[in-house]
Amino acid sequence: MTATTADRMTGRVWAGRLAVLAVGLAAWQFLPQVEWLRERATVFDPFFVSSPSRVAERLWELCVGSGPDGVSVWPVLVQTLVATFAGVIIGTVLGGLAGVVLSSSIPASRILGPFVAFFNAMPRIALVPIFVILAGPTTTATVLTAVAVIFFLVFYNAFAGGRSVPPEVVQSTRLLGASPRSVMFRVRLPYVAVWTLAALPNAISFGLVAVVTAEILTGRVGMGRLLLNSISTADATLTFAVVFLLAVVGVVLVSASDLVSRRALHWWENS
Amino acid sequence: MPAVSVSRADGSPWGPTAPAVIDLQGVGFGYTPDAPVLADITLSLAAGSVVGIVGPSGCGKSTLLSLLAGLRRPTSGSLERRTDVADRHPLSMVFQKDTVLPWKTVVENAGLYATFRGRRRAAEDGEPPGPRVRRLLEMAHLSEVADAYPYQLSGGMRRRLAFVTAVAPGPQILLLDEPFSSVDEPTRIGIHQDVFAITRGMGMTTVLVTHDLAEAITLCDRVLILSRGPSRIAHEHRIDFGPERDMLRLRGTPTYQAAYADLWRDLSAEIAASSAAAAG
Repeated sequence: MTATTADRMTGRVWAGRLAVLAVGLAAWQFLPQVEWLRERATVFDPFFVSSPSRVAERLWELCVGSGPDGVSVWPVLVQTLVATFAGVIIGTVLGGLAGVVLSSSIPASRILGPFVAFFNAMPRIALVPIFVILAGPTTTATVLTAVAVIFFLVFYNAFAGGRSVPPEVVQSTRLLGASPRSVMFRVRLPYVAVWTLAALPNAISFGLVAVVTAEILTGRVGMGRLLLNSISTADATLTFAVVFLLAVVGVVLVSASDLVSRRALHWWENS
Repeated sequence: MPAVSVSRADGSPWGPTAPAVIDLQGVGFGYTPDAPVLADITLSLAAGSVVGIVGPSGCGKSTLLSLLAGLRRPTSGSLERRTDVADRHPLSMVFQKDTVLPWKTVVENAGLYATFRGRRRAAEDGEPPGPRVRRLLEMAHLSEVADAYPYQLSGGMRRRLAFVTAVAPGPQILLLDEPFSSVDEPTRIGIHQDVFAITRGMGMTTVLVTHDLAEAITLCDRVLILSRGPSRIAHEHRIDFGPERDMLRLRGTPTYQAAYADLWRDLSAEIAASSAAAAG
C-alpha cells in the first residue's frame, strides 16, 4: 500500500468516526425533543438521559467551579487519582513479587496455589466493608480495595512470566557462572517484568473502577462520591458528566501506561 | 556390546596423547530405573579435541551432553571432568533452543559471563572481558550489530550470538547440543568456519551433538555413533583434515566424501536397527 493510499484510508477512518459521533450526539440531543417518543419510552425522557449540550455545560461548570453548588471537580479527581496510583503501585509491586517467588518455587506454588485461587475467585469489592472496619472510611480503605483487585491481576501475569522462563536459559546462565541469586534478579525478574508491564493497562483501568466503587461504598471524597451525589439527587446530567470525565481519565491513564510499557520493553519484539 | 573403534588413520594432532579432561567409565543413565537411556558409555576426551556424537533419534545424545555438563548425574559408572586450568572458565554449553537474553544487546549478551562473575574477577581471568568480547564478535561477524537487540537479528545471527556468549569466558570444555540445526545450509557452513576457528584458536575441548553428518565431519576430530537405546558407543571414526579447514572446499574433496560414506554406512545401520526394534 502506498503512503498516499494509507493516508487516504486513515482520513476515511477518521471521517467515519466523526460521522458516527455526530450522529450519536445528534440523536441524543434531538430525539428526546420529539414528544411522541418521549411519551412512549422513558429512555427518551430528558430527565433520565439529559442531553449532550447540558452535559457539556455541566462539565464546564465542574471544571471552573461555577455550578450552583460551586463544586470544582479537580480536588475530587485528584483524590481518586491518588488512590488509584497508590493502589496500582502497591498492587503491582506486591503481585509481581508474589508471582516471581511462587513461580520459582514448585513447593511454594503447590502449597499456596489453592489459597490464591480461592482469594482470586472471591469478589474483592465485597471486601470493602472489612477494609472500612480496618481503616475507617478513609483513602486507605479505597487504596486497599484497589490493591486487592490489582494484586491478583498482576500476580497471575507475573506467575505466568516466571513460569515462561525457558529452562535452557537458566541452565545456560548457571553454566556461565550465575549464582541462584543472579538467576533470580538478572534472568527471572526481567522475564516477569515483561508480563507484569503487559498487565499494567488492565491494572490501571481495574484500579480506577475499584477506587470509584470503594468511594461510592464508603462515601469518601472522590469521583465515586460525586457520582453518589448525582444518583441521590436524581441528577442525570451530573451522572453523565462524571461518567464522561472518568472515561476520559481512564483512556488517558491506559494510553500513558501503554506508552510506558512500550518504552520500558523496547527490546521486546512484540512491544 | 563393546565399543567398536573404526579408526581411519593414526597420528591426529589432537590424539589421545594429550591429558584427558573428560573421562567416562561405564556410565549409565535412565530417567526411571526400568528404562535406561544410556548404558555403559566409556569415553575419554583429550584436552583440545573436538568430538562429534551422532546417532538415531532419541538415542540419548542430548542426555549424554547433559551428563557431561553436570545438569544430570549418571545412575551408574563414573564421570570425571578435569577442568583445572586456574584462569579458564570450566564449562559452557550452547543449547539447541535459543538462550540469548532478549533485553540485552548483542555485546551485552556476549559479555554475560563477566556480569555473572563480576567484572573484576572476569578481568583477573587473563584478558579483560571488553576486548575479548569485541574480538569474538568480530570473528563471528557480529561486530556491525553489536548494539542491536536479539529480536533485530536473523536466525543465523542469533545462533552465532549464542555461540559467542558461550565461548566468551574461554571455557575449557564447550558442549554444543545441535546448535545450528535451525539455520539454513549456506548460513550453517559460514557459521561452521567461524566455530572451527574459534574453538581451535581457544583450545577448547568440544563435544558436538548433531544430526548433521557434514557438520560432524567438518568440525570434529572424532565422531562417535551411538546405538539405539539403551545407548552405547557403537562406532568411532577419526577425522583427519588437520587444523586448517576451508568448510566450502572441504565438502568437495574425495576424502570428505569417503568420510561421509563411512559414517553414513554405520549410522544407517544403527538407524535401521532402531527402526526394526521400534516396529517389532
